[in-house]
Amino acid sequence: MKKKIVLLFVLAATAIAGMAQNSYIPYKAFDGEHKNELSGYVMGGKNFVAGNFGGLEASYTRHFTPRWHVGGDAQMQFGKQLFSIDVQGGYRLPVKYGNINFDGKIMYNHYHKYGSHEMAFNLSATWESAYVDFRIGESIVHYHKRSRVMGWGYTEPPLLTFGFGANIRHRNNPWNVGFFFRNYDDFYYENWNINWGFRWYAKLDEQFRLFGEFNIRPAGSMSQLASKYESSVKIGLKYKW
Amino acid sequence: MVNLIMKAKHIIIATATSLVALTQMSCEKVSPQGVLMAGTGVEDRVKMSELYYRDHLMSSTNNIFVHADEHGEYNYSFLVGADSHLTTDRGRMDEMFSIGLENDDLLYCHLGDIADTKPEYYIILDQLIQDAKENYVNKYYEQNQYGRWRQKIDPYDMIGTEYDNIKFPFYPVVGNHDITHNGWALWSNIFKSSFYEFDVNCGYDENGKPIRDHFIFLDTASGTLGQRQVELIQQGLLDGENDYRYTFLFSHTNIFLPSHFQFASTFPREEAYFLLDQFDKWNVSAVFCGHVHKWDDRFYNYVYYVTLDSMSERNSPNPGDYLVRVRVNGKGGIEFEKVRMNYVAKK
Repeated sequence: MKKKIVLLFVLAATAIAGMAQNSYIPYKAFDGEHKNELSGYVMGGKNFVAGNFGGLEASYTRHFTPRWHVGGDAQMQFGKQLFSIDVQGGYRLPVKYGNINFDGKIMYNHYHKYGSHEMAFNLSATWESAYVDFRIGESIVHYHKRSRVMGWGYTEPPLLTFGFGANIRHRNNPWNVGFFFRNYDDFYYENWNINWGFRWYAKLDEQFRLFGEFNIRPAGSMSQLASKYESSVKIGLKYKW
Repeated sequence: MVNLIMKAKHIIIATATSLVALTQMSCEKVSPQGVLMAGTGVEDRVKMSELYYRDHLMSSTNNIFVHADEHGEYNYSFLVGADSHLTTDRGRMDEMFSIGLENDDLLYCHLGDIADTKPEYYIILDQLIQDAKENYVNKYYEQNQYGRWRQKIDPYDMIGTEYDNIKFPFYPVVGNHDITHNGWALWSNIFKSSFYEFDVNCGYDENGKPIRDHFIFLDTASGTLGQRQVELIQQGLLDGENDYRYTFLFSHTNIFLPSHFQFASTFPREEAYFLLDQFDKWNVSAVFCGHVHKWDDRFYNYVYYVTLDSMSERNSPNPGDYLVRVRVNGKGGIEFEKVRMNYVAKK
């Protein structure tokens, strides 16, 4: 009961102080025993151009060996009229302090409201330790309007992908709270707009785990005046077997 | 499973309560008179600007009329510069105005970061604009017998106007450097509104219908339009009658990235796609951006996007093609031309 109260207090405090999203390393960390992970979350938030939005996400990961995995994710966001799907795979390299995960991702986003199609390709390496994680990589994003005219859209120069997160407790604990900042999220890669927020997870039993994020997504992070652009929340459930 | 649901319920309630609290945190920061009460964030700027815009800038008197040349053609040109970052050296700004005056450009557009934010720099900026206006008036106006000013091209104007009522055709957008360190107070004191529009009238077509080009200036200094500006756009505030021949759009923040190494924030993803879609709906011919101090030009969905290099003598110390001149032909057609600046800072 005491743990519950502490957990609820921390959740409420972080929510009031900050805001919203996912990509949380610890809850995705592989324990080397299970083969399958199925997770999903609901999301809700508000941003300047789409107004209020909500959505659903689902993910599946298959661990072929304790080192190799592949997976896929999909989401629908109402309000933004955004549909996303991706496939990804990775290799986990155990090192003295934690793991280094090398992963690749191919993602498609359809922003129906604005008639835009987007393809993103990412290669990243993530070092995860007991308390902190650091991610660095490169992304290439291509987009075009539905009419596909005048040069078939635009391919951005490679974008640096980076992220940092830290937890208040060792990652093996049944519940944890942490913070992060990064220039990407589950379904987008940004240039220099650095979103930040708070994350948490709580183990319900050996197979189920709750997780969530509060995320503030600003505009103009590197332009001296960061303006809040979007705030959102994710709450999800993960099942492994 | 029941236990799982009960555990989850507490967490969901706590989260929902927090979210409700978050949504209630906004507050009004602008007085009904438009006085800035706090902050220079995009919402405050747009709210202030909206008041001024509705009171002063929605009138057709802000539109510009092109006079026919000796062949009866309504040709005109305008000059665009970006990121002058004015401090104490006014050389490049003076050069921009003198180039425009020499070429008889109809108007001057500036893409933001006009001055770094110190009061003395804005005093210099205000003075150089006044000097440019004086040169402009001396070239295109003359005084009548009553000491009032009339355009030389319009000798039948017997009434004329006061000097202060002559509009110097300089149209800036606000940039991120213009709003730091309370810079918005300085910028808005000179230029008033951070977003606006006007038309350039170019005679009539064969059916007697006015030929008009549309100029739209957005406040993108914070890397986002902000909620209110998006609402205003969606309500059609800057839309006009949508029967313009050409529409030109000016924004400080760029959309396309000139290279991997341009460390400057651009719009968030959805907002970039929103803008690209909106420019399509506005039937924009060309979009001019600054911010990254690096030249880039490209077509995207029939719209021509130009990102200009910085015209500042500190960022671009050597002479170079830092300005763009757009020539609009009376019979139709737009030409873009890079314009060289030769001023080099004194050592």
